[in-house]
Amino acid sequence: MSEVNVLVNKNIGKKKNTSKKLWTNICKYKYLYLLILPGFIHLLIFRYATMYGSIIAFKDYNMFKGIFESPWVGFQNFRDLFNTPKFPLVMKNTLIISLLKMIFGFPAPIILALLLNELKNLKFKKITQTVVYLPHFISWVVFAGIIRAFLNPVDGFVNEIIKVFTGGVPYDFLGSKSTFRSLLVVTDIYKGIGWGTIIYMAALAGVDQELYEAATIDGANLFQRMFYITLPSIKPVIMTLFILGLGGILNAGFEQIFLLYNDMVLPVADIIDTYIYRKGIKEAAYSLGAAAGMFKSVIALVLVIITNKIANKIGEEGVW
Amino acid sequence: MAIKESKGERIFHVVNVILMIILMILMIYPFWYVIMYSLSKPELAMSGGAFLKPKGFTLDAYKMVFRNRSILYGLKTSLIVTIGGAGIGTLVSAMTAYPLSKKDMPGKKIFTYLFLFTMFFGGGLVPEYLLLKKLHMLDTYWALFLPGCISVWNILVIKNFYKGIPDSLEESAKIDGASDLTVFFKIILPLSKPILATIALFLAVGFWNDFFGSIVYIFDKDKWSLQAVLREIITNTQEAMTRQGITIRNENSSNVSQKTLTMATIMVTTIPILVVYPFVQKYFVKGTMIGSVKG
Repeated sequence: MSEVNVLVNKNIGKKKNTSKKLWTNICKYKYLYLLILPGFIHLLIFRYATMYGSIIAFKDYNMFKGIFESPWVGFQNFRDLFNTPKFPLVMKNTLIISLLKMIFGFPAPIILALLLNELKNLKFKKITQTVVYLPHFISWVVFAGIIRAFLNPVDGFVNEIIKVFTGGVPYDFLGSKSTFRSLLVVTDIYKGIGWGTIIYMAALAGVDQELYEAATIDGANLFQRMFYITLPSIKPVIMTLFILGLGGILNAGFEQIFLLYNDMVLPVADIIDTYIYRKGIKEAAYSLGAAAGMFKSVIALVLVIITNKIANKIGEEGVW
Repeated sequence: MAIKESKGERIFHVVNVILMIILMILMIYPFWYVIMYSLSKPELAMSGGAFLKPKGFTLDAYKMVFRNRSILYGLKTSLIVTIGGAGIGTLVSAMTAYPLSKKDMPGKKIFTYLFLFTMFFGGGLVPEYLLLKKLHMLDTYWALFLPGCISVWNILVIKNFYKGIPDSLEESAKIDGASDLTVFFKIILPLSKPILATIALFLAVGFWNDFFGSIVYIFDKDKWSLQAVLREIITNTQEAMTRQGITIRNENSSNVSQKTLTMATIMVTTIPILVVYPFVQKYFVKGTMIGSVKG
């Protein structure tokens, strides 16, 4: 009954002014607004209120005065941040670790996906996939425990191997500035390589098998097929993931580093996120921490916009 | 295929299979090592080795883990947070995604942009901490799952799924006089079970694995999640154990050492995931593939 009325109203609304039409539409969709309400309130509180709260980056935040009453200080917190000797170091570490992870970690799942794609025994392929996906679901805390158990200089398994097979002295991988970053890269690849193949495998599943057959008949060997059929068909996915990766270049892997670093490797391992945590939470320098956080968010946003523009320009699909 | 493989191709296939087997061993062995070590007698385990099987056999480390107060409290927190976060997160995401999947709802564009923007820009750790403080949520379980239980990404994935549901189903229900609410709860939700299960599982794994929320937002260590407790045991063994009242006697009679205890705790934290994983793996893969389709 009311449904009919709404339909009638809608038709009348076309002739009448648009604001009336809007109102009837809103009434018509009232339950939809009700459905979106909880999620929208969550969005306002936990996303936009925190965004608003980050204005303390421009204030001298005082706990007793609160966000509103604390005095404005302009860009003073940012000046303080950029003037600490720590900050350039932290930025440098973040970029180096991120880039190393990108250089070695980005191609790894692509190569694995290509290899998985060539497995002819489907059952074996499936088992392999199941096994390599697993580390993605295990927490970094557990991995940190395992890494320590394996690399401990006293009784770690890896050091036992070194002792037995090379006769060398045990090496403190976690406490050495020269190996810590490599350790981060290797363990990051270990945890992510399998899961990283999923999107590529999905793209590969959509490739027309006749292409391969036709190429084979024309005399293309396995490697040529891989290079001229398989790779091009996942190129858009590679581009999209690369853009997302560049946008996240300031995320050097907070959980992993937070769980593995220690005072000995702090000069090479301290990244922007660990710095924010120590300053902003541990030392309660809220405004400075918020300034560092805002700096990071803004850079990330700009990077995503730029890389997406570039991708669209060179004719690849961007993220949006 | 009728065309014969070249020699190079055959070698490639053999090498490829061998590579995959090595990779699998690399992925499984660390867990195997941890399990075998945790079951070993400490005085034998001390000599090291590859632990292809336990050295001696004792469950004492596990008995000790389950006698440990902070681990039991951690288990409680982790269960509350995992179930609460996955449950609320999935339901609210499903509700939010439905209006966004409708073409002609007024304001839909604004809503969508407001949600999407938060994918690319956020307030950061410190403002979130201050907000939770203001809301008096610090030191409560809420702080551990409420802020993180809804992600725009999940909403988009569900929205894409809804778009695949034929409109005719909803239309015929509406002709029968059903409201949007009835359509959503009686038709859309039941049809979306597979995707909602996937989202719930993803959320559950995320919450189960979270340690950082506890460290930042919870001061009362009896409310720490299992992962946070495990972290303390791993990073600061001696100190953590004395505080938690675990004393390991150094007599020969003791069947537990710090390392076997750590290994057992790692296993207790990981076992729920290892047990569930093989059965739900395909849902994870499917969910990710749906998510990767641009929408």
